[in-house]
Amino acid sequence: MIVHPSPSQTSMSDPPPTAPPVPMRMYEGMASWQALRARRWYAVIGVMMLLTCGAIVFCLQFGAHALTMAEVWSALTFSTAGREDVARVIIWDIRFPRILMGLFVGASLAITGAALQALVRNPLADPYVLGISSGAALGATIGLALGLGAIVGGLGLPLFAFIGGGVSIVLVYGIASSQGQLPMHQLLLAGVIVNAVCSALMMFATSILNPASLYRVVLWLMGTLSAPSIPALIGIGACLLIAIVLLLRESQALNLLAVGEDAACSLGVDSDRVQRTVFLVSAVLTGAVVSVSGMIGFVGMVVPHVVRILCGADHRLLLPVSALGGGILLMVADTVARTIVAPAEIPVGVITALIGGPFFIYLLMTRKYRFFA
Amino acid sequence: MSQQASVSSICSPLPAFEVRQLSFRYDSVRSRPPGDRSNWVINGMELTIRQGEIVGVIGPNGSGKSSLLKLLTKLVRPQEGTIRLFGAELGALSRESISRQVAYMPQDLSYDFPFSVLDMVLMGRFPYRRSGLWNLVGWERQEDLAVAEEAMAQTDVTHLANRMIATLSAGERQRVLLARALAQVPRVLMLDEPTAHLDLNHQLDVCRILQRVHAQLQMTVLLVSHDINLASQYCDRILVMKQGTVVCIGTPQDVIHPRVLTEVYGCQVLVDTHPDTGLPRVSLPAQDRHQTVAASGML
Repeated sequence: MIVHPSPSQTSMSDPPPTAPPVPMRMYEGMASWQALRARRWYAVIGVMMLLTCGAIVFCLQFGAHALTMAEVWSALTFSTAGREDVARVIIWDIRFPRILMGLFVGASLAITGAALQALVRNPLADPYVLGISSGAALGATIGLALGLGAIVGGLGLPLFAFIGGGVSIVLVYGIASSQGQLPMHQLLLAGVIVNAVCSALMMFATSILNPASLYRVVLWLMGTLSAPSIPALIGIGACLLIAIVLLLRESQALNLLAVGEDAACSLGVDSDRVQRTVFLVSAVLTGAVVSVSGMIGFVGMVVPHVVRILCGADHRLLLPVSALGGGILLMVADTVARTIVAPAEIPVGVITALIGGPFFIYLLMTRKYRFFA
Repeated sequence: MSQQASVSSICSPLPAFEVRQLSFRYDSVRSRPPGDRSNWVINGMELTIRQGEIVGVIGPNGSGKSSLLKLLTKLVRPQEGTIRLFGAELGALSRESISRQVAYMPQDLSYDFPFSVLDMVLMGRFPYRRSGLWNLVGWERQEDLAVAEEAMAQTDVTHLANRMIATLSAGERQRVLLARALAQVPRVLMLDEPTAHLDLNHQLDVCRILQRVHAQLQMTVLLVSHDINLASQYCDRILVMKQGTVVCIGTPQDVIHPRVLTEVYGCQVLVDTHPDTGLPRVSLPAQDRHQTVAASGML
């Protein structure tokens, strides 16, 4: 950390060459701002990552068969090779993939929610607002109706859902950008319309399904993280990683766009390109997430608001912290969902709303939150 | 045309803006029959803005003032004509290189997201960001903070640095936006109604800051205003627009004339001189009110 000399001292570093040719005045505030920005970013992200690791280890303990911390630790570190195989199988084959899926899905939902709220400048936006989820749901329903859910080694349902999501991305994008540009209000409207049409078609499809398939559709719609396949896990992880990189690259541009589009353009933001990028990244990630886990509500809308209350609106910090926060919330919620009525399970969306809702209300009532004040 | 170009190259320095035969309208040309010349927002405009002057743009609502600013910052592209920024064709310049030379302060921004004042001012450093593999999110470097800090000092908003933008008064917000524009280190500053909705004291604040900045940094300032008196007091030249064309451009003494203003605004005005500055001052005559009273009395 550079210690800035007080104005009375004469030793003052020269301003960098591109700074305006005016004398630089230093005062106490500046040192703290610098500390506040880049360093704060690393500190906050570091703490969130530690919390995430802690949450993973914590969640590994719980389930239908409770394990002690010592058992979890020895299984994780392979220090009990040959012994206590039960714990190792439970942890590595059952719980770890599921927890990882919770992390990926929660992170994806929260980061797309945060990006879309800025993109359409609407606090009620969530990943499902673009109509991608309904398309995916319709695809899954059609797959089940045709009895093709079990093809490709159990990947049939996600595959159909992803195709449905892809079709609706093309539809929404086509409707919204039909006049050359991509106006945000048109994007929202297109999303709502595609949502409505897909929901109607899905209701029609469910009305002619046989009861067994109907039950699977309903379960899938409620959202579940149970028994993820390894390819799905890798797919979501890869999508999430690419999306995080692409969104972080546009995060400062998103800041500017959130304040005003004309002003952002006058500052050099290629608004058209940024909006298209953010839309496509969010849409594809949402489609992928909905395909593997169904519709898990609440995470995508509320986590970004909570993070904004705690960390401010700067998307460079908001996006990664939302991702980690969403991951933690969903991991913990899923652990609760599969534990409290074990061996049965509660839909995880119920728990996310029951944990997240009161916390959000508490923050709203105690902090001065001025989003759309 | 070639004559004008040679004249401008002899008279250095280059003009900040050179506008030739500029025409613009918002809807697409496709939907119109060829030769249809209606609905131009800017119609065949010719204009030269010299370096380092303060130019006020006045004119009735819908005369194309804001559109002119948008054209000059390449927020919209003209259908016809050319704009040169310090001699370079505006259409060929990238958005980023324009934003390092021209700062545009728009009329309305959204304050819904909880950004701090420092966040806002640092956004002005966007054209200078350097993001790479190790700086994916594009963090500001120390020099960016130094420039932002200087800009905030110039507009007296340093003490507000950590306040949320939504909690500020309109006058404070306007000064923050001005700081953001100054953080761009522009050569030209464009302001769309910088004193709208401000009380007298805050209007004075903004104008004083503008004057100070102009004097210190030799910046070219272009400001759109409905307040003719303010333009008269602070501008070197005034551009009067009507229906997308230049009615006249000149010093306040030349331009602020009852005949010109009556022609442009379509109502009677009184022009006298300001007791302190000797510059022209505009007020509305009393007979309009009397006529209204008389008319209502007749009913």
